[in-house]
Amino acid sequence: MKRILNLMPLVVFGILVVVLYSFLTQENEQLESVLVDQSVPEFKLPALENPNNILSKSSVNKLPALINVWATWCIACRVEHPFLMQLKNKSTLTVYGLNYKDDRKKALDLLENEGNPFEFSIFDQQGKLAIDLGVYGAPETFFVDKEGIIRERHVGALTQKVWKEKFEKFLNEDNDV
Amino acid sequence: MIPEIGHIFLISSLVLSLVGGLGPFIFNKELPIRKMALLMFLLVFGSFITLIYSFVVDDFSVAYVAQNSNINLPIYYKFAATWGAHEGSLILWILSMNIWLLAFISFDKNRNTNFSNIVFGVCSLVIFSFLLFTIFTSNPFERILPIPPLNGADLNPSLQDFAFTVHPPLLYFGYSGLLLPFAISISAMLSGQSNKDWASSSRPWTLLACSFLTVGIGLGSWWAYYELGWGGWWFWDPVENAAFVPWLLTVALVHSLIVTENRNLFVSWSLLLSIFAFAASLLGTFLVRSGILTSVHAFALDPERGLFMLGIFSFFVLGGLAIFAFKNSTENKTSFYSLNSKEFGLLLNNVLLVVLAVSILFGTLYPLIYEAYTGGKQISVGAPYFEFIIFPFSILLGLLQGIALYLSWGSTKSFNFLTKLILESLSIFLLTLVLLFVLFDELIPASFFTIFIFSWLIVGSLLINFSFKSFNKYLDFLNRRIGVLLSHTGMALLVLGVGVVSSYSNDIELILDTGEKIEFLNKDVELLDIKDINGPNFISKTANIKVLDSGRTFNLQTEKRTYFPSGQVTTEAAIDTGIFRDFYISMGDNFKGDSWSFKLQSKPFIRWIWLGALLITLGTFISSINILRRKS
Repeated sequence: MKRILNLMPLVVFGILVVVLYSFLTQENEQLESVLVDQSVPEFKLPALENPNNILSKSSVNKLPALINVWATWCIACRVEHPFLMQLKNKSTLTVYGLNYKDDRKKALDLLENEGNPFEFSIFDQQGKLAIDLGVYGAPETFFVDKEGIIRERHVGALTQKVWKEKFEKFLNEDNDV
Repeated sequence: MIPEIGHIFLISSLVLSLVGGLGPFIFNKELPIRKMALLMFLLVFGSFITLIYSFVVDDFSVAYVAQNSNINLPIYYKFAATWGAHEGSLILWILSMNIWLLAFISFDKNRNTNFSNIVFGVCSLVIFSFLLFTIFTSNPFERILPIPPLNGADLNPSLQDFAFTVHPPLLYFGYSGLLLPFAISISAMLSGQSNKDWASSSRPWTLLACSFLTVGIGLGSWWAYYELGWGGWWFWDPVENAAFVPWLLTVALVHSLIVTENRNLFVSWSLLLSIFAFAASLLGTFLVRSGILTSVHAFALDPERGLFMLGIFSFFVLGGLAIFAFKNSTENKTSFYSLNSKEFGLLLNNVLLVVLAVSILFGTLYPLIYEAYTGGKQISVGAPYFEFIIFPFSILLGLLQGIALYLSWGSTKSFNFLTKLILESLSIFLLTLVLLFVLFDELIPASFFTIFIFSWLIVGSLLINFSFKSFNKYLDFLNRRIGVLLSHTGMALLVLGVGVVSSYSNDIELILDTGEKIEFLNKDVELLDIKDINGPNFISKTANIKVLDSGRTFNLQTEKRTYFPSGQVTTEAAIDTGIFRDFYISMGDNFKGDSWSFKLQSKPFIRWIWLGALLITLGTFISSINILRRKS
């Protein structure tokens, strides 16, 4: 009995290690197999600004564009917010917001106080579109090219550095065409 | 050339730590462990210095320097940028482990016994594995050749700050300090050292690690408060939890070791807790570095590093637990203690702390577990869960802590102290309420619980044994127990700070034009002007704000800074600090022309949180030094 009891911690931590290992390997597959190079999925969701305005895939029409997944409860989203404001002011690229599992009033308050970098925000309270997009957590940013194809995805806060490394190239490419 | 020397130092210490790590286990030889520990320390220290040097002289051919520094960065931050990202942090981490090992060996009086040799061996093995990890996955000395960049990418602007430059070293020092209790626990099981011996050998180091963890976490919280511009002091961010869980376990260990040393009890428990605390610090590192959890703390995300870290974690933690299961040669006797004894009090303390730690760890990992078993569905566990969990635990721990110092070993003869304790706490409670009413013109019932716990703790730690008649005796008591009294009082202040700031805070968000005046909590606030100011490596919009607060006039400057190499924008909050309240202004975004949004906040008693943390730091530090002095 004593012997078995002494083994317990080893067993519990053994399981923990296996679980953590499965996260590590699983996460990689997931991040690589999302909708990159596929078109934006269909959806029917209300606009954040106006619940009666039902948006769909065809509302996302000023392309190329970024789709930024955000929420008021997400701290890293606040970190990237000033950068999104800069993008709005400096670049011609449209940014669409996907307000994810949030409270409408809080979200609108935040946009009013901190500035609204988005063309409009899709209000996805149940995370329906987010699931279709394979969203891993907020914040997350997708680049949609002018054919409506998702070309790049970034998990985590969007910063100048990330922008340079992952997204800027698409704009140049678009100019070339 | 200099970076290559650093690289060679690192590789030499890798070889040396492998020899030191295998020595006691395989060759079964007496190694000159003092000299080896010193040499290992000097090598890692040397390599750290060369890395600092590369930063200071702007050697952008070193990739790590190019990514995290810039010609225009002020010299002080160039220095601190050394540990501004993953690779340099690791070197600092390894350096701290070496310092701990060296300190242990220098103070160790069982020199060259089997016990000390195994402690040395385990530490060297851990250091070896971290060196291996650094050299193979995160080498800070890698070069960008043949054409190095002319200028670097810059240090993350929100990290260009005093508290930040000292927060990571102290926190790492605390984290890595858990190496010693771990190594001592492994060595105790393998060498069969007597319980009194190993526990008393572990206690000062556990206290010291606890001290550094506390100050590291406290500084992090203070930094987040004024630098991130939201006025929050704790976010339940995964990275914060990754530091909080080891802290809780370390506090539990500090207490259980007292029982093991004095009563020869809780032996297996202390052994296990030493392993768990170290495991929690490794797990924290793993969660943060692998990028499994995304958070505000932007670190390198790299699955390969994650696997490597997981490997280190499994090897040491599972290895330690296997030794516990099969090779544990410590003496383990059972003896009886009654429900009103100090032993039982400390047992409860440990159970509560460990269950709390596990709940917080669970909340942090739950989103991952949920996602893995629902095929990618998302869930987020936020502040409401953690606050809901921590509240009852704090109340119970607080009630227990208040009577802790009155309890005796074996069984407590009389509980007469309770009447005095209750009456005195009630008076302090009422006095505090009066003070709050005078200060803020209102009483908020939600804060009553925490205010009562504060009063209970103050009485339980400071007023115990107090009497005017034998005042000298009381002073003597304070002097003798200074460490524990300081830490317990610190806890009381922290509880009061948390309680008051979470119920008495006020904030307002508004848009101000230049020259506009508003009133907020009986203060006249006027936006005087907004100026463009050029810093060494940023440009800033600085709002100059005049505040008239009950006859006192002062000016505050809050800024929006744009750092030019990266283009990143940060908010510099303006804070009028005070012992009873902070007045906090942060600048939001530009609307049209010269009108900007601002957030005004009143944060009563927030300083008490950090003051409390500081007292805990001091108290544990003093206790540790006293034990070490007594021994040598």
